[in-house]
Amino acid sequence: MSSLNVAPGSVAPVLQVSAANGTAPAAPTRSTAPGRDGLGGGSTLGTFGVKSGLAQMLKGGVIMDVTNAEQARIAEEAGACAVMALERVPADIRKEGGVARMIIQAVGVDYIDESEVLTPADEQHHINKHPFKVPFICGAKNLGEALRRISEGAAFIRTKGEAGTGNIVEAVRHQRAVSSDIRRSSAMNDEELYAFAKEISAPFHLLKEVARLKRLPVVSFAAGGIATPADAALMMQLGCDGVFVGSGIFNSGDPAKRARAIVQAVSHYNNPKMLAEVSENLGKAMVGLTIDDEVEGGRMSKRGW
Amino acid sequence: MTQDKAITIGILAMQGAVAEHQVMLKKVSSHTPTTITIVLIREVVDLSRCDGLIIPGGESTTMALLARLAGLTEPLREFVQKKPVWGTCAGAILLSQAVEGVKKGGQELLGGVDVKTERNGWGSQIESFEVPLFVEGLREPDRPFTGVFIRAPVILDITPSTFSPPVQILARLSAALLPHGQTLVAADEDDTDPRDARTVVALRQGRHLLTTFHPELTTDDRFHEFFITEYIALFAFIKITLASSV
Repeated sequence: MSSLNVAPGSVAPVLQVSAANGTAPAAPTRSTAPGRDGLGGGSTLGTFGVKSGLAQMLKGGVIMDVTNAEQARIAEEAGACAVMALERVPADIRKEGGVARMIIQAVGVDYIDESEVLTPADEQHHINKHPFKVPFICGAKNLGEALRRISEGAAFIRTKGEAGTGNIVEAVRHQRAVSSDIRRSSAMNDEELYAFAKEISAPFHLLKEVARLKRLPVVSFAAGGIATPADAALMMQLGCDGVFVGSGIFNSGDPAKRARAIVQAVSHYNNPKMLAEVSENLGKAMVGLTIDDEVEGGRMSKRGW
Repeated sequence: MTQDKAITIGILAMQGAVAEHQVMLKKVSSHTPTTITIVLIREVVDLSRCDGLIIPGGESTTMALLARLAGLTEPLREFVQKKPVWGTCAGAILLSQAVEGVKKGGQELLGGVDVKTERNGWGSQIESFEVPLFVEGLREPDRPFTGVFIRAPVILDITPSTFSPPVQILARLSAALLPHGQTLVAADEDDTDPRDARTVVALRQGRHLLTTFHPELTTDDRFHEFFITEYIALFAFIKITLASSV
């Protein structure tokens, strides 16, 4: 596994790299002569089903930020279900400024993080994600924001916690906000849903789907500030489907051991005995930052729209 | 025999699409005479109650590692020797006899089905696809079943030994859909052999079922119904008859 370099501040080049792999980007259909040997012809590439389906396969898992092949190897050995290739981990981006290049890859580029938080390249617009065969993951701090991103084509949602701080409070706030609005909407009738959709600036049809399902229509992970197995288990108990961990692992005393402990904590989040066991002797945790308006780089949850 | 059956199905819940299988089994339970109790397998004690097991899709290396850390690897291997198991995608890899394209240092498998698979044989995520399949044995076999292939494994070889049960092919893809120009299939390779093992996407061997795609990501519960009625219920019934004849 190696990280893929992309032009700063832009995600479009990634897609060209991927689309160069033998299929035309504009026509995501691979058709075969129908009934050629009596078998199903007409397969369709890059449907929303396969884009959101990949996220469903990552559930109950940990996605780790890595900056080089050696870290990717530690992540794999620890049982990460995917890695996110970055130029630097968020704690360092905060300190030094600069461009984050985020691509999730399990092997090859499998997801793109729109990354509207660390270093936004466009302060007005989000990308229309529907035409791409590669799925996108986007951050959200409340239900309205999550549904706006899904409406633009996001196949995977994460909380917009304060990455690089080792402080989980913002991620908890976002997850609680999303769950609480989902619970409220599930008790509403259609008239109330129209009014609520307007209030949170969300598309009505998606809000109605959420009210019916009593969950988001795509997978949602916790991200931002997770540094210990207990943090990870807490986010799972709050209803997240899995977690992202970045600086929390590779800025700690024993990355390999901590990474594995967090993977186990996510799988066994409801088993206190197991959580206590895996939390023993993990070495030094990353040094956390207090989140206030003076935090290095400014508050990230204030970015995005 | 018209009496209602009560069976217990485990879903290996280390990581992956566990809830999706759970939803499907509940759906089957609601319209068949079989009462299904679902157990999410996280510890060894959970396994002993089950009549059958589903190994879901997810990341096979992560699942294998978590299973080992939870002390489940050997109990799972014993379970596979005795009872019906269905592996979807990553689960199919874990049930394989051998696998290619694994991480450095290899990957732990459970075995049980005499096939060799290749991880992510179709390529990366942008090569993931949906395709209508015709599956032998399902209710309404003429109605296509949507095969959702997500970074799916490819079956490279089917090699049943003399002592193992025969392999029955349940569904194939058109050979023309095989990923050409990649390592798996050479660009100039003839794609007309319909018996090519690599076109097989669903098969059964003895009491095991293997699918390289994800029936749990559809709203069609015919595959889950097939597993319950053709495997588990039958097996549970045989167990009851044997017990009463002693």
